[in-house]
Amino acid sequence: MAASLGFGGSNVADKANATASPTMTQHSYQGPAQMLDEHLLTPASISSLEVHGAANTRRTLLDHIFKPVVEQSAHAGTTLGQILDSVGVATKKMARFALCILLADTQLLQDIFKEEGFGVFLSEAPRPESTRATDRTDLDISIRVKEKARWAFSAGTDFGNAEGSAYTNAVARNIFGGAETLSVNASTGTRTRSAYNATFSAPVNGNPDLRLSVEALRSATQKPWASHEEQLMGANLRLAWLSDTSDTHALSYSGVWRQLTGLAATASPTVRADAGDSLKSSLTHTFTRDRRDNPMLPQRGYLVRTVSELAGWGPLSGDAAFAKTELEASGALPLSLPGLASSSSKKSGIISIGGGLRLGLLYPLPLGCYSPLSGRAQPSRVNDRFQLGGPTDVRGFKLGGLGPHDGADSVGGDVYAAGSVNALIPLPRTAPDSPLRLQLFANAGRLVALNTSAKSKEKRGGGRESLAMDSATVFRGVKSAVGELANGLPSLAAGVGLVYAHPVARFELNFSLPLVLRRGEEGRKGLQSWSTGYFRMANGRLIGFELFNDL
Amino acid sequence: MASTPTAPSWRRMQVPRPLQQLFDRFPLRTYAANDLPERSHHLTSSDLPTLYVFSTEPDARLGLPSFNPACLKWQTLLRLAGLEFRILPSTNHASPTGSLPFLLPPRTSTNTTTTTTTAPPLPIPASNLLTYAARQHTSAAAPDLDPDLPARSQVYLSLITLSLRNAWLHALYLDPSNTALLQRLYIRPASSSRGVQATLLCQLRRAAAEQIANTSSSMVLSTAAASSADAVDEEAVYAAARDALGALASLLGESETGWFFGAEGPGVFDASLFSYTHLMMEFMDGGALSAAAEGGMGTGGLGRMLANWLDDVDLTA
Repeated sequence: MAASLGFGGSNVADKANATASPTMTQHSYQGPAQMLDEHLLTPASISSLEVHGAANTRRTLLDHIFKPVVEQSAHAGTTLGQILDSVGVATKKMARFALCILLADTQLLQDIFKEEGFGVFLSEAPRPESTRATDRTDLDISIRVKEKARWAFSAGTDFGNAEGSAYTNAVARNIFGGAETLSVNASTGTRTRSAYNATFSAPVNGNPDLRLSVEALRSATQKPWASHEEQLMGANLRLAWLSDTSDTHALSYSGVWRQLTGLAATASPTVRADAGDSLKSSLTHTFTRDRRDNPMLPQRGYLVRTVSELAGWGPLSGDAAFAKTELEASGALPLSLPGLASSSSKKSGIISIGGGLRLGLLYPLPLGCYSPLSGRAQPSRVNDRFQLGGPTDVRGFKLGGLGPHDGADSVGGDVYAAGSVNALIPLPRTAPDSPLRLQLFANAGRLVALNTSAKSKEKRGGGRESLAMDSATVFRGVKSAVGELANGLPSLAAGVGLVYAHPVARFELNFSLPLVLRRGEEGRKGLQSWSTGYFRMANGRLIGFELFNDL
Repeated sequence: MASTPTAPSWRRMQVPRPLQQLFDRFPLRTYAANDLPERSHHLTSSDLPTLYVFSTEPDARLGLPSFNPACLKWQTLLRLAGLEFRILPSTNHASPTGSLPFLLPPRTSTNTTTTTTTAPPLPIPASNLLTYAARQHTSAAAPDLDPDLPARSQVYLSLITLSLRNAWLHALYLDPSNTALLQRLYIRPASSSRGVQATLLCQLRRAAAEQIANTSSSMVLSTAAASSADAVDEEAVYAAARDALGALASLLGESETGWFFGAEGPGVFDASLFSYTHLMMEFMDGGALSAAAEGGMGTGGLGRMLANWLDDVDLTA
């Protein structure tokens, strides 16, 4: 008598299902849609709800997910449609645990269930003879999942950016049965001498879209563009969430002990003056809205990202105090040229135009004070300032090639603006979905350091005895640095190249020439190539390499 | 580190001449260089050579003696050499040799051509300081500061570099009664964070204990834990320092000029001893070390040296 009703039999649930997991088992419609619509309005209740295959998952996690379903069906007037609806929401939530969700640069490893083997089955519960017949349908709901292995271990190598490195990674999933994850990473390379980090993350309140994580890290990285090595040791606490509009937010506190050491013999006076220890204690908020059709080869859509950091303010203390904010916006549009025959453009894909703009500002604050007006602020250090330039950043420039330079060292700036325009053109005689594209680009950038004596005639020694600046001096300095952004043409490079967008990585080979430079800035004449991979996206790291030096 | 001297052969491709000429036209426009950041501008654009030492910001502004013996020795010698310089508080991380002091000549000294950007000056390690100071002196008025000491002085020098140094290290780093001083001089300037301070304190103490243990094997009580303060024989360290100061005092007493080895004026040896005795008297006031140092210092020109020091400071301040 049990009439099996496929999960996909409901419009509502179907919609939820489709967005939740594309591989979820779907049963086809059994009858005319009209009949189903009538069914949806019939009163129904849940007789039983079973979850199979979640042996290692804690009951409380499942309770969080299915409680709304059970509670709703307890009301008298519940219809079959409503039940299917809420089951859809719950399974969508559950399926979210089967996906790796990229929340603001951190791949939240919460994939405790396998994507395949996910199924939901509804059947009418057999009614005991004794009870009187009602027109209410009692349902048995059975949900089947497959858990992923609790332990995963991986090792591999990265090559790029004139660096080779090897890494190992161990992941323990679903440690306490509540989708808690512990990930331990270790890597070593030619430039990253050593890096270790361990991250423990768990969903808050059984909600897959709200996760709390704790990370401990230790690393030593060469910074050849500024002739030193930076050693980091610290921890951060991070709350990341996915909003209803599928934007990602992350709020984190981090405390990092930075040691600027191992200076090269040729290190500049600027770097020598900044060498030593500092503790950065900061709060950071990151917002990402990604509406691109393909992150590796975007042809339509846009990306907005903001990062705001507050260090050393009030109770945060530490050794560095500043407010730092960055905005990144980029977009792409497919272009239909009237001159091109539509048939040919269809055959070989479409031309798309993309553009991007990035802005950043660092504002020094008085350490440990609540008001930026009280107390005196220290100017920024090289490891807090922005760096600009490089194959993954502003093409046609060396890594850290833009902005103030002290000799060969790129010492960074406090304010920057960078923009780029590029056109992706399909190559002739390639398939429409070919990942290979011809690229034309031009990009410009300006990186300026705060310097309160820049405008005044007094170039040497400075009028101030102490390094610290009062609030009026800071404001004047930042204002003049922002004004300096628009002084003259920005540093500019243009070129042409090939882009290959593999599903896991993007490779570029470009030929570029610098058009406008500041003295000391390092443009790159000739070929430059880079790639970015998904392999290690967990660290948000881009890898790139450069084939030729200047021609 | 930053640049490879020889590029691989495939990188040194020959570019066709017309193409090279075309490339040489780029960039089409070059503006003036970007200004250096505030911190860098303020700290590194002095017209004077800068000696990087352990000091505090207010002390450095007045040119007061450094609280680190090695730094104070070279600071004193550069003053004796008549070099005009300023000092900047720094850390060992900044030094090309891994320890302070070192000197950075002013930026302008290497400015030769107009087309290339001025190369920043290279640091001069402590061992080359006197050569540098001598080069800066065009007049013959420079005092004779021979870095090569007389042969018999080597024995006496080891009294300073071993016995006095060990006593200083023990008193400042391992003696718990001086913890507050150690923190004020070396720990707190590094970071305001309690955690970082605690770690640094631990690291410094271990390094100091190892130094003492390495240079004086007889004073180590147990080899098992050479890195802890308990492993060092405190009495032996201080007794050796007292003996050393006594020997140095009698040596100075033999000199008629009031300077070591009968020299006309203070030299490298005098500066070396002064750097320890001054700091012992300045910071270890009332301690056994201070009393011993006073005994060694009061008999000769070293006391005058300090007086001159402070007179000069008062003049410049």
